[in-house]
Amino acid sequence: MPDLGRAALVTSFLLLSYATVAGAFAAWHGRRRLAESAQNALVAAFAATVVATVVLLVALAQHDFSFTYVANHTSRELPLGYTLTAFWGGQEGSLLLWLLVLCGYSVAAVLTARRAGREVLSWVVPTLGLVGTFFALLLVFVASPFATQVAPADGAGLNPSLQNPYMAIHPPMLYLGYVGLTVPFAFAMGALLARRTDERWIVATRRWTLAAWAFLGVGQLLGAHWAYVEIGWGGYYAWDPVENAALMPWLAATAFLHSVMIQEKRGMLKVWNVLLVTLAFCLSLFGTFLTRSGIIQSIHSFTQSSIGPWFLGFICLITAGSLALIFLRLPLLRSKTRLESLVSREATFLYNNLLLVALALTILWGVVYPLLSEAVTGEAATVGKPYYNFFLHSFGLPLLLLMGIGPLVAWRRASLRALGRTFLWPLAAAVAAGIALLAAGAGSSRIGVIAYTFSVFVLASIVLEFVRGTSARKGLGDVGWPGAFSSLVARNRRRYGGYVVHAAVVLLAIGIAGSSAYQTVREGRLRPGDSMTVAGNRLVFRGFQTSTESNHRAIRANIDVYRGGEYIGRLRPGKNQYFAEGQVSNEVAIRHSVLTGGDLFLIADQVNADGSLDLKALDKPLVNLIWLAGLVFIGGSLITLWPDAREQRRLAERYEGAAVQA
Amino acid sequence: MPGKRSPARLIVALSVAAVLAVFLLYTSIAGGGTPSLIPSQAAGHAGRISVGGMVVGKPTGDAHAGGLHFRLRDPKGSATIPVVYTGSVPDLFRTGREVVVDGKLRSGVLVAVPDTLVTKCPSKYTPKT
Amino acid sequence: MSAALLIGALLAIASVVLVAAPFLREPAPADDRLLSPDAAQQRRLAHAEERDRALDALKELEFDHRTGKISDDDYRAQVGLLRRRAAETLRSDG
Repeated sequence: MPDLGRAALVTSFLLLSYATVAGAFAAWHGRRRLAESAQNALVAAFAATVVATVVLLVALAQHDFSFTYVANHTSRELPLGYTLTAFWGGQEGSLLLWLLVLCGYSVAAVLTARRAGREVLSWVVPTLGLVGTFFALLLVFVASPFATQVAPADGAGLNPSLQNPYMAIHPPMLYLGYVGLTVPFAFAMGALLARRTDERWIVATRRWTLAAWAFLGVGQLLGAHWAYVEIGWGGYYAWDPVENAALMPWLAATAFLHSVMIQEKRGMLKVWNVLLVTLAFCLSLFGTFLTRSGIIQSIHSFTQSSIGPWFLGFICLITAGSLALIFLRLPLLRSKTRLESLVSREATFLYNNLLLVALALTILWGVVYPLLSEAVTGEAATVGKPYYNFFLHSFGLPLLLLMGIGPLVAWRRASLRALGRTFLWPLAAAVAAGIALLAAGAGSSRIGVIAYTFSVFVLASIVLEFVRGTSARKGLGDVGWPGAFSSLVARNRRRYGGYVVHAAVVLLAIGIAGSSAYQTVREGRLRPGDSMTVAGNRLVFRGFQTSTESNHRAIRANIDVYRGGEYIGRLRPGKNQYFAEGQVSNEVAIRHSVLTGGDLFLIADQVNADGSLDLKALDKPLVNLIWLAGLVFIGGSLITLWPDAREQRRLAERYEGAAVQA
Repeated sequence: MPGKRSPARLIVALSVAAVLAVFLLYTSIAGGGTPSLIPSQAAGHAGRISVGGMVVGKPTGDAHAGGLHFRLRDPKGSATIPVVYTGSVPDLFRTGREVVVDGKLRSGVLVAVPDTLVTKCPSKYTPKT
Repeated sequence: MSAALLIGALLAIASVVLVAAPFLREPAPADDRLLSPDAAQQRRLAHAEERDRALDALKELEFDHRTGKISDDDYRAQVGLLRRRAAETLRSDG
């Protein structure tokens, strides 16, 4: 069986190399049959990778511990679900997942993106092939999932904190995002290599980019939620290099999604767009490298591994190659259109891009700082939360404001008078909210008040957009409000879906501001009968309770919660001691408040021999808005992704009409 | 108003300058990061440092009452440093574990900043004993 | 073991067939060139995109005006220019 897996990977490697070399040759010399053959090689490589995947899955399901990988990441008593998701629990398996998703995306993109044009596709195939060849090379020669050993009686098992649904779904979501960014990159390079100056590659990859970006966003929120409920330190994001590894490409992709809109509408920013998509892809490779090479100290440090130098080399190759290509094609990319006014939607998108890229780059600087400082001074130095928070505020708050301003500004040139009128209501709402907040005591955090007032501004402007749009639509024809609304959204899916996504980001901002700027933390040692108060909740410790489960012993502290003298409920934070693995896990107790959207978060810091408890209690206002934002984000993304028959027809007309070969 | 030169270049130049200014302002005020050291490198540093190493010996005391006392040793050496820590202790903390903690050196003892103790999350377990 | 061998063999054969297929299907094609659009087609394509862009800009202007983002004066100032640009692209078709 392992032989089949290895053979399948070697086959995949050979096919992908062929797709790269033959594809490049065919594109350069214009050979149709060879180009088709290279494209077919991608399909065959996907099939081979699927075979390798199935081999590993079967080995996992059968608890075949002769596979080193299976023995290292599962055990006999592990439930089937987690046994199968251990597929991506280790380095080799996650590389295989990368390759699988890449091949899948490559085949799907190449088969469905005919609109990009055959000569562009003929260059896309070798580009995708090149990336695939790299991963296949690692899998065959450096980090094989099919290494074998004398089978031990039982495997090493899975860390209990990784045994929950979030950890099952968080890596595939992230990978669908990371790998998905390869598609727009490949098409951008394909268009450059084919010397095309039109927008076909953007039109062809629009949905792919959106989908990848959405997966990356959702994957990060899942990771944050897992950290919040499972690791349970009271927070959801620690600016750990591995977390930043996913945030940086996401920020670059967000910038890219906006700037391609400018290129579509006005034909500007062509050079910026190809640079940006290259940056997003390189950051995504870098993110995979960070997560898998252990090169930067991180509490998530995976084993310091041998693939680090390979990744670094590949990233350098891609960066150098792309920059060289862009430089060579610079004359082609010059556009005639100029930015007409500093107060226009193009300008706002440009500011938005600059802020997003600035934020991504400052995070990158913070992530590599230990390496750089060690190289320069001999001593590694790390930057901490204050560094990241400073730049998050400096760049993030203006970005938040821009989300409200952008949609209200016209293309080309907006007169300040018109702006004044459209801004009036949102501005009034924001000022009113600000005053109300200050009166309610929110002035304890300046950043918090700013974030809240900006959020109100943006929400108001989004609501107004929907209202104005619906009434305009209604004024056109014979429809009632609901009909006008659905017709409005259906005809402008990208715009209104985008507004919904903006609303999600605002909810995220409010949730983050509330739960960090306005949180209350109390710590103390409690004997049975003692109490502690946090944000109006009186917590009375009643004593410990121990129980024995199938694979662990559970110690729980019984804490009764009272608000204003009234008994609200009992929370039971504590610890689990796992027999097999000999580890202790932290089990937090969280009480959600539906009314305020906040959480009461209890951590049993230390269980003491004398029967006392060291308790840490946090009140986190509005934190559940973060998770709600995730749902709204998914909804908005779906709206923008939804196929639009009218738009497809229009595009077909455009390209058929120009009588260009498909 | 639209002239011959596109304002886009001006915006980009000004923004880059602005970002750099913000960046330099921050680093000049906040300083250049916390040194990340192993116990043998710690001596002589004033100010906040981050020390990583292996926990050796038996930890004594209580992190929530009076302070947890333990020693950190170089991952691949023998130099050790005593640490006194208050705050939350990660569940994975034990003798033999690799940890990182921030603090300031006072008379050769690392007085930790509360709640900065983190353990390296192992991707595999230590084998059953 | 033999199942693995069989699957492996099938995979190898399928891969070879897929890769060789274009050559097997057309051993002696009349035309093996990968056609890229010539200058005329490129121009037509760029033109089509220009035209769509102009029409789209006009539509957006109307929409922005109706939803109150653009004042009447601004609308009047811009609509003439955009209409003319759109008319130009439509006229010089082909």
